[in-house]
Amino acid sequence: MAEISFPLPDLGEGLIEATVLEWLVSEGDQIERNQPLVEVETSKSAVELPSPQAGKVVKTYGEPGGKINVGEPLIVFEVADDTAGIVGTVPREEAPKRRVRLSALPDDED
Amino acid sequence: MTVPEHQTVEGSDAQLHVEIHQPDEGTGPDGPTRPVLLLHGFASSSKLNWYDAGWLTALSGAGRRVITVDLPGHGRSGSPDELDAYAPSRMRADILQVLYDSHVRPFEEGNAASGVDLIGYSLGARLAWEFGATQPELVHRMVLGGPSTQDPLADFDLAGAQKYLADGTRMSDEQSYSLLKMAQMVPSNNIFSLLSMIEAIKSEPFTPSEAVPHMPMLLVAGEKDELAATMTDLAGLSPKAETLVLPARSHTNAVTSRAFKNAAIDFLAEHP
Amino acid sequence: MYKDNQEGTTMEMEPAGAAVNVVEMSMQQALNRALMETLERDPKTLVFGEDVGRLGGVFRITDGLQAKFGSDRVFDTPLAESGILGMSVGLAMAGWHSIPEVQFDGFAYPAINQIVCQIGRMNYRSRGIMPMPITLRVPSFGGIRAPEHHGESLEALFAHVPGLKVVSPSTPHEAYHQLKYAASRPDPVIFMEPKSRYWQKGEVDLDNAGERTGSAVVREGKHATLVAWGAMVSRCLQVAELAAEDGIELEVLDLRWLKPIDAEGLAASVSKTRRAVVVHEAPRTSGLGAEVAAIINERCFRTLRAPVERVTGFDVPYPSGDLEDEYIPNIDRILFGIQRVLEYRRG
Repeated sequence: MAEISFPLPDLGEGLIEATVLEWLVSEGDQIERNQPLVEVETSKSAVELPSPQAGKVVKTYGEPGGKINVGEPLIVFEVADDTAGIVGTVPREEAPKRRVRLSALPDDED
Repeated sequence: MTVPEHQTVEGSDAQLHVEIHQPDEGTGPDGPTRPVLLLHGFASSSKLNWYDAGWLTALSGAGRRVITVDLPGHGRSGSPDELDAYAPSRMRADILQVLYDSHVRPFEEGNAASGVDLIGYSLGARLAWEFGATQPELVHRMVLGGPSTQDPLADFDLAGAQKYLADGTRMSDEQSYSLLKMAQMVPSNNIFSLLSMIEAIKSEPFTPSEAVPHMPMLLVAGEKDELAATMTDLAGLSPKAETLVLPARSHTNAVTSRAFKNAAIDFLAEHP
Repeated sequence: MYKDNQEGTTMEMEPAGAAVNVVEMSMQQALNRALMETLERDPKTLVFGEDVGRLGGVFRITDGLQAKFGSDRVFDTPLAESGILGMSVGLAMAGWHSIPEVQFDGFAYPAINQIVCQIGRMNYRSRGIMPMPITLRVPSFGGIRAPEHHGESLEALFAHVPGLKVVSPSTPHEAYHQLKYAASRPDPVIFMEPKSRYWQKGEVDLDNAGERTGSAVVREGKHATLVAWGAMVSRCLQVAELAAEDGIELEVLDLRWLKPIDAEGLAASVSKTRRAVVVHEAPRTSGLGAEVAAIINERCFRTLRAPVERVTGFDVPYPSGDLEDEYIPNIDRILFGIQRVLEYRRG
């Protein structure tokens, strides 16, 4: 297993820091990519950051009320070693999901 | 969540930017569910108030179709020149048009796809209160965040702000000054449109007791939300209003609260 | 028979009673094994490209080959695709069979001059005196969220060049046997490996290759034919499974050889189902789907119940990884295409 760390991302408009409001995941949780991760507040607004990574949460930085600077560590994940190697990621195999249902009955009379 | 549909209200030339977001799981076993209309706060936008704060993810994940609309002068909506475009009554009329264009149909008992649910924050909560009161046949349930018995914008020092923007003269009213600074930080805001909106709001102040919505309502505010200090009084006007206080949250940071989202989703899912 | 582990579908490959030597492996391992056996079988074969020697390839396809066969037969080249393919031309003239790799599909562009102007034409130009036995391995298509130039669908570009053959395997079994087959032929073959399928395991029947040329019906059905290749085959099998829930029986045709296209096999399937949807990742305009649709029109015009539907990537440069899911045909887009051919009515 490997560890991968993510810093607090650039929240735009020259904002340099954010205050942690509430962590929505805990250390040890297995989480999905884009799952809501943490609520932070900047001098402009409050935002919910989605997870950039799927994996097991090893460590989170910042208690509620604490400040984190953009670029400083926010979260560390443990991820499987079977990454694609040098470029890209191994595609995740998921059960096929659909929204569309076929309704037309083929008209094969003639 | 699929790529949202975009539309702009035509005819009335309100230049409102509307997005319709389909839910994650398509339609449920009972067919489509009624949409949720989201109304953002002053100097915010659908992106800041709802999208960045995680509401789209939460509502889509709960199987809800979501309609967002940026108020005039906000977000990706246009900034009309005429003052009338910013009057709360005109904005409510344009919102009604948006709902009809989005195929929202009057609420019928037993039809899970009929009607619309509203979630409004701050100024959006005021607009929702008035909209719910005047459109009882359309609105099923409402969640009002950071609400108040008065519109805080009615007390804004408009003359001071105009002077400050013109030549930098310091504003004496601290609350107005900090609101102006906050509004200026969001690049999508047209600051002069926002001042037009304040001017229009001053001419149509909020008097919630004049028309009280009759559908079930959930009023939510942060414990430290000074702008929503009168939430309990507002709730007292309706026998169908419940309240929820979010510990340690302020007017700015209550919007991301998971407890807020969960309570809103659960409340809107109740019947009738 | 072998089982595609990924999809849980079973495909008929050989008559019952054939000797069974079936091994479960990933496409990565299947390709590695095919190269290993080819180098063992034919001392005139060479494997080379960027990082294929010491490193064993960025996708580990050439892992262990240099250790086993030495750096005279398996070696690293400079980062110069034009040189890699130019060298293949010279080696072919001298009687060697090259199995070069361009590391990613997008890196084939600098080699296009050698591929089109030399490799495709030499046999014709020399009236058969100088064939070009070159098997060019190209990790192809999207699906691994790679940056620009690391995910492209070049099949139409290659298929348009006279003198080249183009093949794309869809399973470990196909990969193993098609690579061995291509490396045993005197023709230049562009071998497009669906990189998003490298890690998926499936059973490989080592002894029974099955038919090596033409297309393969990988699922039988009667209402419409889904035509696909490479990574889209498994997606179409998923779609066929879902369509069955709605009472629609889809036939899935793995085209396999993209040049020459198996017109007979295509016509046989579509004559039966009378409707066709062709699915590819490449952009729509002048994509291989247009060729497939034209062949179906030529051969099945009178039996066809609906115009051939194309479900493809969009006419934009292949997007970077974050936008891949929006670009590559997904299950719903394919289902919509099927819906359109099913509900089409003349008049």
